[in-house]
Amino acid sequence: MNLDKLLETGDRCIHKEPPPCTAQCPIHLEVIDFLSEIEKGNFQNAYKLMEKKMPFHKIIGRICDHPCEAPCERSKAGGSIRISDLEKAVLEYGGYKPKKVWPLPKNKGKVAIVGGGLSGLTAAVDLDKKGYIVTIFEKTNRLGGRLWDFVGNSLTEALLNQELKAVVDKKIAIHLENNVDQNKLTQLLTEYDAVYLGTSKWEEPIKYHPITFQVGDFSLFVGGQLVSQTDSVIFSASSGRRAAISIERYLSKVSLTDSRDREGVFETPLQFDISSKEPLSPIAKSTAIYSQEEAMEEAKRCVKCQCRKCIEGCVHLRKFDISPDAYIRQINHNERIILGTHYANKMINSCAECGLCKEACFLDISMNDVIHETRESMVERGKMPITAHDFALKDMAFSNSSRFSLVRKQPSKEESKDLFYYPLISFSDYVKGLYKGTGKTEYLFYPGCQLPASYPDDIKSIYEYLVGHVNGDVGIYLGCCGAPADWAGQQGLMSENIEAIKKVWVDMERPTFILACSSCMRIFKKYLPEIKVASLWDIYVREGLPNKDHIKIPQTLSVHDACGTRENSDLHENVRKIASKLGYGIKELEYTKEKTKCCGYGGLVYYANREQSDAFVHERIGESENDLLVYCAMCKDLFVSGGKRTYHLLDLIYPKDDGNAATRKMPTLSERHQNRSRVKQILLKEIWREEPIEDIMEDNLTLIIPEEVKKNIEDRYILMEDIQAVLKNAEAKNERFCNPETHEYLAKLRRDSVTFWVKYQKDEKNYLIKSIYSHRMEIVEEDGNSGEQK
Amino acid sequence: MKHVSDDKVKWLCDKCQRELVLSKVKVRYLEGNFEVDLMKCPTCNQVFIDEALALGKMKEVEEGLEDK
Repeated sequence: MNLDKLLETGDRCIHKEPPPCTAQCPIHLEVIDFLSEIEKGNFQNAYKLMEKKMPFHKIIGRICDHPCEAPCERSKAGGSIRISDLEKAVLEYGGYKPKKVWPLPKNKGKVAIVGGGLSGLTAAVDLDKKGYIVTIFEKTNRLGGRLWDFVGNSLTEALLNQELKAVVDKKIAIHLENNVDQNKLTQLLTEYDAVYLGTSKWEEPIKYHPITFQVGDFSLFVGGQLVSQTDSVIFSASSGRRAAISIERYLSKVSLTDSRDREGVFETPLQFDISSKEPLSPIAKSTAIYSQEEAMEEAKRCVKCQCRKCIEGCVHLRKFDISPDAYIRQINHNERIILGTHYANKMINSCAECGLCKEACFLDISMNDVIHETRESMVERGKMPITAHDFALKDMAFSNSSRFSLVRKQPSKEESKDLFYYPLISFSDYVKGLYKGTGKTEYLFYPGCQLPASYPDDIKSIYEYLVGHVNGDVGIYLGCCGAPADWAGQQGLMSENIEAIKKVWVDMERPTFILACSSCMRIFKKYLPEIKVASLWDIYVREGLPNKDHIKIPQTLSVHDACGTRENSDLHENVRKIASKLGYGIKELEYTKEKTKCCGYGGLVYYANREQSDAFVHERIGESENDLLVYCAMCKDLFVSGGKRTYHLLDLIYPKDDGNAATRKMPTLSERHQNRSRVKQILLKEIWREEPIEDIMEDNLTLIIPEEVKKNIEDRYILMEDIQAVLKNAEAKNERFCNPETHEYLAKLRRDSVTFWVKYQKDEKNYLIKSIYSHRMEIVEEDGNSGEQK
Repeated sequence: MKHVSDDKVKWLCDKCQRELVLSKVKVRYLEGNFEVDLMKCPTCNQVFIDEALALGKMKEVEEGLEDK
């Protein structure tokens, strides 16, 4: 994994970027914090923030020309926050008696300040505080320069005198009525270690460095109006401060230019979408200065600009309380660590890889891609926790085994000729389709693995519909597209799977795949772009629906689009067309179509972090008052398990008469296996009229399993066949423990790197299962036998 | 990772009909190899692991090793 590239992506995230008010303030007052304190009525804390950042805060706070206000995002929704008025209020209500500060010993060098105006005074006070011996040369008979022009309502003469006296009291040497011209300046440069020139005018234009304000490579630095070229007091003060930083760096012999790109005013890369905020007008002042209550109300209007676009839509980012920039730093650390615990593993495996973050992001940052790449890297380096995806990968292996996998061409005309009789040949579209058979497979129906697991009874109907409606022969291909391997970051397994699919495609003379599962659609687009695909739902719209006249109670549904189809707007429209043709009304959700959310299955979160998966489920089902309509089997199963009435599109197209379609519970993990096998058996028997090769009903022991044990079996990813195997082994070899008092047995068997334990009681025919659990750790028994099933 | 079963009742090895004894047992997972005290049959050596151990301490150690 390219970690430099990763960090660059993290640096692009604007979550941590400052708001425009702070970026446009030459001294970077932390305006959001400042307003937050006011909002809470903590005027003294707000005062301390001013004191910390603002030179001569008692003066500037009253006369600042507030460049912070114009770029305020609130200006687009009611009017800029009155930051300047709030500063005046804070000076009024938040002042406190400052603690005595002990001055540093003055041993760091001598600096001359030319000009006793605001910029010169700022430079002088800053350098004095840092331990320099400072001398001010002022041509008039008083300090303050043009600050005196501001004396009026806000800034009184008394206050200005008091603040200037504070400078005098610092024992900075002050030479009044001491004009400095070019000759005097040359002399000062030889007498002092550095000179700051802060006069409003100079005899000739001066060239200076735009960042350091240094003149050539002399020990001369400029500031104030010579630099700002404006009347702005805050720019003057800022330039004095920045020149003082340069002087300190110059005299300490360190780089003058390092890490100074964000000094003074800069454009923040932050983008903020205020469209969802209610417009609010500024609070009016009832007197010259805001009352405390008015100030608090005004501060409350601040929207605290911060980009949280992706976080707002993503329950994963919110659950881990993390933004992409910080997430990426954690991934970087997790990837680099050699010895020690990889603390971010769990988080990385809790992302649904649904892609909503990128959709929401101003800069198209895709955490989906970042996390996917990370998972691939973890697998590659052998650092992916096995437990996270083991069950899902075994499930995939099941689907690609002979217990489900199947490839068949459409039954030939020859094989079907016994069906070509009246009335069948006239009224069955399926038989008509068989009659038109050419032997060349134009389409291959690929229902995926989860749809047959959840809707085993509909696959045959869909197949017959397709044969009867699309133009050309339709074959069938049962298997798993590899989505679990993709989500698990298993590139090797993924490419094996893709090659297998490609081989079937080539052997079948490159038919168009008809896909019904949104994950298959995503996988085919990503890995098999050469294969032409059609969505089953698109075909229903194009060729017309079967069973047209069945709707009983029309109702309004909210469509939850599958996250795998995010970019497929035609599909979104067609799903809605099908629902409306069937008489249903549609109420769109806020997060819909390209902005849809994940149900909680995506990215294998369901297996890696059940709590996170539940959070996805509950957030999503809480967003709709109506019953939901989905077209992905896992979306349906998860929403119903979360207690939400949810229809799959197939429930509407192939309705059952039991009225339970919207509440039908998810099949158990074992039932999913059985259902897939059953689909294969049904198709072989009823479409291809072949005798099933495998007997799926092995002679099984009869188990009685109480409800709470059933729930544990599911939550612990244990299959009925595991239980059967443990019991058969125990009964055959007596490898078990017994409890003479309770008449219970406890038996174990290791299968495929997992040891399963079953506690049970037994009568003549039945096994009452008391509990079941498993572990991966291997016990090395003394005869060297680890108990692995042979 | 010493573990004595919490069950009040006594389990026997069904094959050997012997009471279980606490002994040193080797366990391994990924890169980790440990020796721990567990209950086992003194004759056939089959080791007894109850639910609390499997889903508690053992799971914790497994997760710890997987995150190494």
